[in-house]
Amino acid sequence: MLLRVWCVALNPQITQMNADYSEVKDQKSEIANSRQSADKNSSANFLDRFAVRGVFWRQYLDWATVNMPFYTYPVLHCFMTFFFFFFAAPARRIVLANLAIILPGSSRAVNYLRVFRTFYNYAWTISEAAIHKINKEEFAYEIIGAKWLDQLGAAQGAIVLTAHMGNYDLGAALFAEKFNREIRLVRAPEPDRQTAQHLSASLEKSGEGAVKVDYNTAGALLSFDLLNALRLGEIVSIQGDRMDGDLAEIPAHLFGRHVRLPNGPFVLAQVAHVPIYPLFIARSGYRSYQIIVREPITVLRSRRDREDDIAQAVEKWCRVLEQLIAERWDQWFAFAPGFLSDEQNR
Amino acid sequence: MNKTDKRSAQFYFSLLRIIAMLRGGDATRAESNGFEAWLVGLTIYSIHYLFFATLFIPSNLEPWQIALLLVAIAFWIWLFWLPLLYINSVIIQALHMCGLFRTIPIRRAQSTLWGTYTTAMAFALLKSSPSLRELGAIWLVAVAMNLASAVVLAFSDAARSPGA
Repeated sequence: MLLRVWCVALNPQITQMNADYSEVKDQKSEIANSRQSADKNSSANFLDRFAVRGVFWRQYLDWATVNMPFYTYPVLHCFMTFFFFFFAAPARRIVLANLAIILPGSSRAVNYLRVFRTFYNYAWTISEAAIHKINKEEFAYEIIGAKWLDQLGAAQGAIVLTAHMGNYDLGAALFAEKFNREIRLVRAPEPDRQTAQHLSASLEKSGEGAVKVDYNTAGALLSFDLLNALRLGEIVSIQGDRMDGDLAEIPAHLFGRHVRLPNGPFVLAQVAHVPIYPLFIARSGYRSYQIIVREPITVLRSRRDREDDIAQAVEKWCRVLEQLIAERWDQWFAFAPGFLSDEQNR
Repeated sequence: MNKTDKRSAQFYFSLLRIIAMLRGGDATRAESNGFEAWLVGLTIYSIHYLFFATLFIPSNLEPWQIALLLVAIAFWIWLFWLPLLYINSVIIQALHMCGLFRTIPIRRAQSTLWGTYTTAMAFALLKSSPSLRELGAIWLVAVAMNLASAVVLAFSDAARSPGA
């Protein structure tokens, strides 16, 4: 509460931001309550642990990372990909639909193979994140846009805007390690409570205390907390390629289709006067990654309508995102719907 | 402007490490070589596959039945590997309780057990048809050369690294 009063007193524009977030506050607490009760029911159901997004698979991955000889990964990943290709039907359908938009004119049959490739990359991505966390193995990496990464490393407060692409989790740990800086990750909540707990613990362990995880359903105060962190010179990392939950959103266009993106990062950047660095961690081979940093986006504060300035920044972000997704469609792990149909857009 | 942080090729198996050393490369043990992972992984998978194929497929079946079984065995190997990992982990735990192999990482102890099973299967393949016998023989020769390389490396300072 004190933090909120302090923030409002410090900058009147926060009031506007507060309005953005408090609109959804009640809805969020309702959702949180319903989630909690749903969680209680679901935890009672033992079989939920074995659902595609259940905690069993995460725990199994950790166990396998300790036990599996490294040369068994290529073959076992192929079979695990087969397994999830058939059992994770909703994710398969979403990736298939996304590919039809990203690669217009592509054949449906070939796109099924591309979905397999995306799933296979995902298997490698999460297993290599576990290897980094548990076995403390080192990874080779190449930085594309080193100038901007150095800027980011030295920045007094910045937002890293990224996507569900490549090894986002490993990237945060690598960044914290390379620049010896703390980073706050804002993640979409996992549908399974135990999986969420496991992931948070993993990320924090992987970052050796330099990575702090927040969930974007933590309540309206999260925005103030993040604003405070930015003003204290910290780096906040947010996934900005799709909406998860009932957050403040902004309409945008990707590949000529309507999407809704979170406007939180842009509002934060505008209020805190910090740049947004588009950053992606793409897998480039066996235990090898590319850290791709694009030119920072500045959210202006002109005398015009605030929404116009934000829309301009969102437009720039969408172009960056479009380019990256088109180049690396096989590493865009968008397993929840993102593109809107014409009906949904009305 | 781009930057890279790529190291020279490193290997896990002694035979490849000694070849790297003789060529002036880095002989420290590492699990970072994708080519090595694929090569050894696929070879082990092939030996297990052929072993079970010779074991399970009778010669008096129709061709379509043989084809079906060959596909089924491909998946059977995966199902075989999952409990194998678990059984190995139990064996390693038991060895640890007896005070054995406590200083080596679990996945290396697993690797030793995997090598042992695969070598046993390769031996069994020596009694099969000439082409299968050849694959079994290649594996056995590779294992022998790897063990000899391990002995050489044990006396060489070049290959020593913390935990190697």
